[in-house]
Amino acid sequence: MRYSILLLFFIFFTQNAFAADVYLSLSAHGQRMDLGIGGFVPGTEMVEESRLGRLIQDILRNDLLFSRYFNIIEGGPLYTGKDEELLEWQNQGVDILICGSVEIKDNKLILTGKLLDIASKKAIWDKSFKGDIEDYRYLAHDLNDEIIFRFTGEKGIAHSKIVFSNNRTGNKELYIVDYDGYNVRQITNNKSINLLPKWSPDGTEIIFTTYEFGNPDLYSISPYGTELYPLSKEQGLNTAGSFSPNGKVIALTISRGKMPNIHLINRDGKFLRQLTFGRGIATSPYFAPNGKEIVFIYDLPGYPQVYIMNLEGGNLRRLTTRSFCDSPAWSPRGDKIVFTMRQEGYGYELFLYDLNNKELKRLTQSKGNDENPSFSPDGRFVVFSSTRSGKSELYMIAIDGSGIRKVGEIKGSSFTPSWSP
Amino acid sequence: MLKRLTILFCIFILISGCAKQKRSGDMTRGEKAGAEDVDEAGIRHGDWHSTPELKSIHFSFDKSDLLPEAREVLQKNAEYLKSNTDINVMVEGHCDERGTIEYNLGLGQRRASAVREYYGKLGVSLSRIGTISYGEEKPLDTGHTEESWYKNRRAETKIRNIKPPMEAEEGTVNTEKDKDNPGQKKYSP
Repeated sequence: MRYSILLLFFIFFTQNAFAADVYLSLSAHGQRMDLGIGGFVPGTEMVEESRLGRLIQDILRNDLLFSRYFNIIEGGPLYTGKDEELLEWQNQGVDILICGSVEIKDNKLILTGKLLDIASKKAIWDKSFKGDIEDYRYLAHDLNDEIIFRFTGEKGIAHSKIVFSNNRTGNKELYIVDYDGYNVRQITNNKSINLLPKWSPDGTEIIFTTYEFGNPDLYSISPYGTELYPLSKEQGLNTAGSFSPNGKVIALTISRGKMPNIHLINRDGKFLRQLTFGRGIATSPYFAPNGKEIVFIYDLPGYPQVYIMNLEGGNLRRLTTRSFCDSPAWSPRGDKIVFTMRQEGYGYELFLYDLNNKELKRLTQSKGNDENPSFSPDGRFVVFSSTRSGKSELYMIAIDGSGIRKVGEIKGSSFTPSWSP
Repeated sequence: MLKRLTILFCIFILISGCAKQKRSGDMTRGEKAGAEDVDEAGIRHGDWHSTPELKSIHFSFDKSDLLPEAREVLQKNAEYLKSNTDINVMVEGHCDERGTIEYNLGLGQRRASAVREYYGKLGVSLSRIGTISYGEEKPLDTGHTEESWYKNRRAETKIRNIKPPMEAEEGTVNTEKDKDNPGQKKYSP
């Protein structure tokens, strides 16, 4: 993998110095580039291909806009290979044009995306994606994620999903939705209470707390709602489970007839050790991306505050100084912790703690409660639940506080989201 | 202090030792890992119910201390529990919506445990009593007023009849629990 990336860069640098410039202009200077979307030509002139081409263009546009890396320019002609089409795009100030084709072959959809350097009229990158016709949304997301990778060196997040709890049936069941609010599907159906789902780092498992068997137990389930199995069934709480970055260990709150404290278990459920021995409540553990520390909630001072400790329960230190805090999540880059904190007169709001300069910054402000934040895989966005509209719904916000948007129109009230890897 | 730590350490070793024994072996994933090391009564039964003789108590915001009026209620409850020895007891801890979900699960557990301990002090056998926390998941009143919140910050005492001694001898609480608690269950996608 590493070799192939190196090889790609080698090709970029030797064959086309411009591509390397593009990469640098985004990462080093941070300015937004003008990117044109020239559309997708139907491969065999089928009506269905044209229709899918337009749908894919819409999805791709939304993905690219959400990424906030580019200024998107549309309105130029569909690029079919003619110079005068390129000229029109050039007149609109576009440097790079996204174009390509959509073809249906043997009942499969083949999407080819290209990045065209308008000045040299050369493709600086192209790639084909093949899949079932009904999965056209995912092909568009894959194209977006590859384009983002070409420009930033880091894969886009359009393939990602959110798992959450929702009460539309009258019970809190788990659901998964695409990051853009499409394709809501239910993954538990036990008519009990299902809460606090968290993805495994490889995206193959979701751990959550369920009351299905008469006690709040920690179970694992696949994203398809299959392979349900128990991880921790101590009497009392088995809640707020969260994976270590290598996926081998789970931190969770267990009470077992005593005070709720943080414990570690293996991925297969084998008990490892107790980390906190507080006489109050310790909960909501979340691993640092280096796997060496855990951020969690502890009410040592008499009210729940954000603390960090190592995996032996040592080197304990407090990050916050006031109010009620909960649900901390460590950013994938390791430099920030997002959590919810009660603000008098506003309910709960999201805050970002910067571990480098120890600064605390407010991320959201609403009349409702903003809770249970979870970072996007690239660490640039946060999904959370908010009651700002009157009922609890999912929202996303960039970590600079801009671009807040609701995650689709989802029936019922939604809680405790977790963003997939 | 040192003595205390040593004792704690010994207890920890003991507990972790027991835990290890129970969890090792050819057990399928977590199938039997359970609450055997707790002297709480098992709670994994479907027939817990309220009875008019046992009243709920209420708490202050973010507190699990038993208020004087709550103690009076619990004293009456305890008399009933002591004179009815053929029932087991489950204490449910509940919270209002103002806390967060994870913390409220912890707070509800503390409330339930506080009530169980008090019943113990009043002479009810602790091995008859189990606890469960519902956090803010089961409000009595879905309003958003002080009055609704007060109603929701509560501990309920529920009961179930235990089998007459003849039958209970073989089928201990644990086997009953396992029966009620299948380890594997598939969902359809």
